[in-house]
Parts: sequence; C-alpha cells; structure tokens
Amino acid sequence: MSALPPPAPDAAVLREAAQWLVRLHSGRAREADHAACAAWREADPAHERAWQRAERLSRKFGAVPSGVGVPVLARQARGNRRAALRTLALLATAAPAAWLGWRLAPWEAWISDHRTATGERREVQLADGSRVLLDTGSAIDVRIDGAQRTLRLRVGAIQVATAADARPFVVETALGRLRALGTRFTVRQDGEDTQRQIRLAVTEGAVEVTLRGASSPALVVPAGRQTLLRHQGASPLTALTAVTPESQAWTQGVLYAENMRLADFCAELARYRPGLLHCSPEVAELRISGAFQLRDTDYVLSMVASTLPVQVLTRTRWWVTVLPV
Amino acid sequence: MPSADTSAVQALYTAHHGWLSTWLRRRLGCAHSAADLAQDTFVRVLLRPQALPTLREPRAYLTTLAKGVVSEHWRRQALERAYLEALALMPEPLALSPEERLQLLQTLDEIDAMLDGLAPKAREAFVLSQLEGLGYAQIAERLGVSERTVKRYMAQGFERCLAVME
Repeated sequence: MSALPPPAPDAAVLREAAQWLVRLHSGRAREADHAACAAWREADPAHERAWQRAERLSRKFGAVPSGVGVPVLARQARGNRRAALRTLALLATAAPAAWLGWRLAPWEAWISDHRTATGERREVQLADGSRVLLDTGSAIDVRIDGAQRTLRLRVGAIQVATAADARPFVVETALGRLRALGTRFTVRQDGEDTQRQIRLAVTEGAVEVTLRGASSPALVVPAGRQTLLRHQGASPLTALTAVTPESQAWTQGVLYAENMRLADFCAELARYRPGLLHCSPEVAELRISGAFQLRDTDYVLSMVASTLPVQVLTRTRWWVTVLPV
Repeated sequence: MPSADTSAVQALYTAHHGWLSTWLRRRLGCAHSAADLAQDTFVRVLLRPQALPTLREPRAYLTTLAKGVVSEHWRRQALERAYLEALALMPEPLALSPEERLQLLQTLDEIDAMLDGLAPKAREAFVLSQLEGLGYAQIAERLGVSERTVKRYMAQGFERCLAVME
C-alpha cells in the first residue's frame, strides 16, 4: 500500500494563488507583498501545493527567451501573421540595445516617430519649420495636419522652438496638454503612473496648460517661468518659479548641479549613460555643484571622484558604482 | 485501463474509420494529415472509455472529437509558423541546438494551449508580463487600457494556467 497522493488543490485555492501571482508580478511588488505571500503559503498545506504549481508555471515561462514569446503567443487572432510581423519589426528596431536587456529600454520609445538613444542629443526639424531638440533617451510622435500641429512626448525631455504658423502647436503629455503661444520651451516627463511628473519651463512667448481630462486651460506659463505637473492632488500645479539653469542646461549638452545630492546627480547622469550607475547610500547625501559636459560621462565620474570623498568602481563599462573611499 | 472496452473501440474503428477519414479529408484538403488526425481522434476515444457503453450516435461523437482534433491541428500549425518566423527574424540568432529548438517549440505549444480561449488583449497582456517582464503600467499604456483592466487580464491568465498545470 502506498500513501494516497495529496489531493489536487481546489479551484478556490488556485484562484487565491492566482491573485498572489497578480500582486507579485505587477512590477511594483515590495518586500511586504512577498512576505504576505509567504505567510499565505505557510498557512495551509493546500496553499503550498497550489504555490508549487505556480512555481512550475514560472519555470515554464522562464524557459522562453526574450523576444520569442510575444510574436509567437500574442497573436491577435488565429492566423493573423501581419500582427506578429509588426511586433517583430519593433523588436528588430531595438536590436542595438537588446543585449542590455530591453527592460531598461522604454518600450514606448520603439514605436515613436523620433527617438534618441541613451547619451544622444539630436535636433529634429518638423514639416512646419518648428525645431525640436530631443534629450537623451527621449521619444516623440508628430502629427501635422491642416488644422493642428501635435507632438506627443512619450518619454524623456524636449526643447521646442515653434515656427510661426496659423495652426495651433500642441504638446501632449501623460498629464496634460501644452499649447504653445509663439514660443520656445522645454518639457520633461519622468516617472510612471502616480509618480509621473512633467516639468515645463518657458523661455520665450508663453504656454497654455490644460490638464488631462479637463476641458479648459488651467493656467498660462509666461516666459522666464517654470512649473511642475504631478499626477495626484486637487491642485497638481505647484506655483510658478523662475526658470532655473538646471532645466535648460541639457539643451547645451551640460548637466548643471547646484548643491545637488550626489544620489540625484548620479540619477541624472545615469540618463545619459547606457548600463547601470549606482550610488551607494553612504554617499547619497554628499553635495555636488558645477557644470558637467555630458559628452563624456566617464570623465564626469572621474571629476566626481577627484572632488568628493568617493571612489568610482567600474565593474564593467555598463556597471558602475559610486562608493565611499 | 480501457482493456474491457477494447472490443468496443475495435468495433467503432472498423465501422467508422473510413467514414471519419473521408470527413477529415474534406475539411483539410489533405489526405496525409487526414489519416494522422483520424488516428488522433481514435486516441481520444481510447482516453475516454467510459463514454463508449452509452454511445448512441457514434458518428456524432466521433465528429465532436474530430473537431477538437482539427482545431488543435490548426492552432499548432499557426504556432509553428509563427515560431519559425520569430526565429528567422530574431535580430541576433538564438544559438539553439535542434533539440533545444524542439523543446522551446514544445514549451510554447504548452503555454499557447493554456492560454487558448483568453481574449486577444488579455492574452497579449499576459504574455507581455510573463514572457517579457513588463510592469502592469507599461502594459496598460501599450494596450490602451487601464491598469485595473490589466490586473483583471492577469488574473484570468493565471487562473487558467494554474487550473491546467499539473
């Protein structure tokens, strides 16, 4: 006589396991989520059995190399080859950065009209004569028709100098719409979801801001002023302040720091470098000031090491850590 | 094991195999795969011996099973085609041995079968998350749906997969 095999987990327990998987794969799961899941597993052997099944599932998914699963499995409909080929064309576009892992490369950037690689800064002239300067790792879509000129900022930062034209010029961002009134201005979009924020700085003319979902403009930002739009809050607009050198320096290929936390400085510098740039917590609160040429970020790091009590540990070209001496 | 029913299966086979092959050939337009799929259909008969004694409409029963076999056949064919295209179009060719290629196809086939029946968007969301590691926010933006909806899609996907995993 052999012992009976344990019964298969019942549907309700499997549904609970599915809910845990949903929570842990969101991309934002924290230590507490993992701990809560572990407690659930320990609470009942049936939970643990269901979880074993979940782990076998994960191993199965893990066996599929990146880049193969989506075109093969995300078929829009049976036999719809066109969709698969389109997906593949997108994947192929990302080839140069592919080995770095495309989790680092924003998906949004691949399907845009104009984009810049990490460390690249490029000016684009639009059909109407307007000029757009794209900062590192940025992407925009452009649509110019008989009635309107629309530019969608998908990711990163741009400087816009509009050409004189009767048609309205509008920049769409995740948090709202910016309408240029004969203008030069910069827009930077950071973060995701609730962390999302938009920095708008106007250097010539004025820009009218209409928040997402609103029908009428919230304010007009005049030349020499900047503002910050956030995701949450009844009043997502902070007060207007004078345009700071920090917000404009990138257009000259410079990273400008004034008493900036080293952690923030590294985060800014990392936007211009492929790979990982990590600032260890022990030195995060050190302060740094200066104007740094972004053309050579290795040189910038060596300057940091020579002015602050830190050392720059280069594990590979793509993995750099700033540590205490 | 279906040993007691072997004679019943034998009788069913003798009486209807020719008819089933013709029925499949008309559907597929290919005698070769019709013969294979007729075999597969009878394998399914063998796997469900308990259905045999009560069988009153053997041809209707065979047709039902054969339809499942045929749709499985098309699903697999589409998958294999997509798989070959994907491999051919990879920016950097995957260094896979023939065995690994087959193993990978097998795995993709299993996942594909698990996801069968999910709505196309739910399927895409699930694949982007589980095979490419995108976060729900990115998926929501890419598919033009809310993050709540992505979570619902993910729950559907996980429930389905967990239900059929061993």
